[in-house]
Amino acid sequence: MSRWWKLASPVAVIVLWQVLSSTGALPEHTPSPTKVVAGLWELTTKGLPPGYRLPGHLFASLERVLLGFAIAALVALPLGLLVGYSKRMEVIVDPLVEALRPVPPLAWLPLAVLWFGIGLFSSSFLIFLGCFFPILLSTISGVKSVEGTLVDAARTLGAKSRSIVWRVMLPGAMPSAVTGLRIGMGIGWMTLVAAEMTGVKSGYGLGYLVLTTRDLARYDLLLADIVVIGLVGFLLDRVIKVAERRLLKWR
Amino acid sequence: MTTEKYRVRAKRAAIAALLVVVAAVSIAGCGSPAETTRVVRVGHLANDMHQLAYYVARENGYFKEEGLDVREAGAFNAGPEEMSAFSARQLDIGYVGTAPALTFAGQDMAEVKAVAGVNRVGSAIVIRNGLEGGDISALKGRNVAVPGYSTMQDFLLRIALGKARVDARDLTIMTLKPPEMAQALSSAQIDAFIAWEPYPTMTVTQGGGRVLEQSSKIWPHHPCCLVVVDSSFLLKNPDTVQRFVRAHEKATEFIKDNPEEAADLAARFTGQDREIARKAMTTIEYDTSMDKAAIQRYAAYLKEMGVIKVSDPASFAADFVEPGMLQGGGR
Repeated sequence: MSRWWKLASPVAVIVLWQVLSSTGALPEHTPSPTKVVAGLWELTTKGLPPGYRLPGHLFASLERVLLGFAIAALVALPLGLLVGYSKRMEVIVDPLVEALRPVPPLAWLPLAVLWFGIGLFSSSFLIFLGCFFPILLSTISGVKSVEGTLVDAARTLGAKSRSIVWRVMLPGAMPSAVTGLRIGMGIGWMTLVAAEMTGVKSGYGLGYLVLTTRDLARYDLLLADIVVIGLVGFLLDRVIKVAERRLLKWR
Repeated sequence: MTTEKYRVRAKRAAIAALLVVVAAVSIAGCGSPAETTRVVRVGHLANDMHQLAYYVARENGYFKEEGLDVREAGAFNAGPEEMSAFSARQLDIGYVGTAPALTFAGQDMAEVKAVAGVNRVGSAIVIRNGLEGGDISALKGRNVAVPGYSTMQDFLLRIALGKARVDARDLTIMTLKPPEMAQALSSAQIDAFIAWEPYPTMTVTQGGGRVLEQSSKIWPHHPCCLVVVDSSFLLKNPDTVQRFVRAHEKATEFIKDNPEEAADLAARFTGQDREIARKAMTTIEYDTSMDKAAIQRYAAYLKEMGVIKVSDPASFAADFVEPGMLQGGGR
């Protein structure tokens, strides 16, 4: 099958959407694809509020998401290894994780401002919360998926605990952990709108832009922003996927 | 100006004619009563001190006295959300700010008319404790939060800066939603904010800051919340709208004549401490009249900011305001 088939579903949706808008079948005030493309152009050249252009919004959001994601990965990967390895750790940590995991990041918003002020750290904190749990849980299940016989074999061959962790557990857990990173990045990126509700001093951010388009009733620009958020989320996922292929070549 | 007056008169005449027709039809008994409805789907902002008249009319039974079946279709957190419910034709009548109403109407995102005022003024600039200065120039070099780009509060801040000859570029103006403002101020994340009541009074009472300027000083009697009606609902049910406005006027009178009882209701409506509610009420002018010139001024500002794209903001605003439902046809 040609790789062009990948474009089939998005193109079909756009064509259908355009047809429905021009026949007036969609609810009134729903912008058409052509309006959205014009909106992308307006965001790039003029910006919203005027002067605040798309690249500025994009880079501000990338900074917040990458920081939140990096901290989540730095904490969740080692913790996941530890919890997956030690039954006792799991018993201790599990109730807390299971109780915090279902809380929507948005609920933490006022506390995020209280603890981290307005700006990079409070929004990154909410994104951290979005990224953290998928990475942690996937890493734990990755460690657990390493077969006991493999560990036993290593031990009989005289491997020490430390080298069992580094040589057996870690490589064995990697595929699942990387999947966790991908899911974590996806959810972190989804948390963007909530994260940028904490207040943005610079006036930049793709999520913050969602709020501005809402206030100004510019649903064409809202959809243009949604398209950008979707595309960038897709690209971020691709980046991790490519990195995964490079890192896990040995498989 | 004369054509404008003519237009308003023509419209009033049209509504009067419609009223006569509706009355005639119902007296004649040949029209089905289903054509005009007494059921009204109403929207308002949650916890908004400005919109107390709605709650008073509801709790004191004024809508029922008028034979109306008022159904609360939504309590919204922000004006733009309420206006998008008008876009989706989910609301007949709404209590909402002038800014979101004009922003949506001026882009044909919602077809609405303003039929009564709700309140004037009732916003304030609050500055953090420990910062010097008793006038607007104290804001120089500071972080100041507004509820949104091109909101009435944003406009008021710019007027205040202009009057004090302070360049807006000398301060950092950022957007923050009012519920977050008080906390951001007390933790020194921002130096000042401008917001509607009860947030200024709440912040001051809790010791988070002091009022630098009331909005009544910045722009005396500036417009704030309005009662807006879906245009086609107004055309089909002028008598129902008239009754609604009458109940609203009665409620507004009640607030002015019985501030203590109104404060009890305000505390229930907003969930605020009664004393905060009572104090906040004193900064708000509950007024059902509409100042067309002031609404035109704000529409011109929205056009200047590129928010609405009407060719003539003055005639757009004149068309938006429909005072014919008020007792005596407005003042």
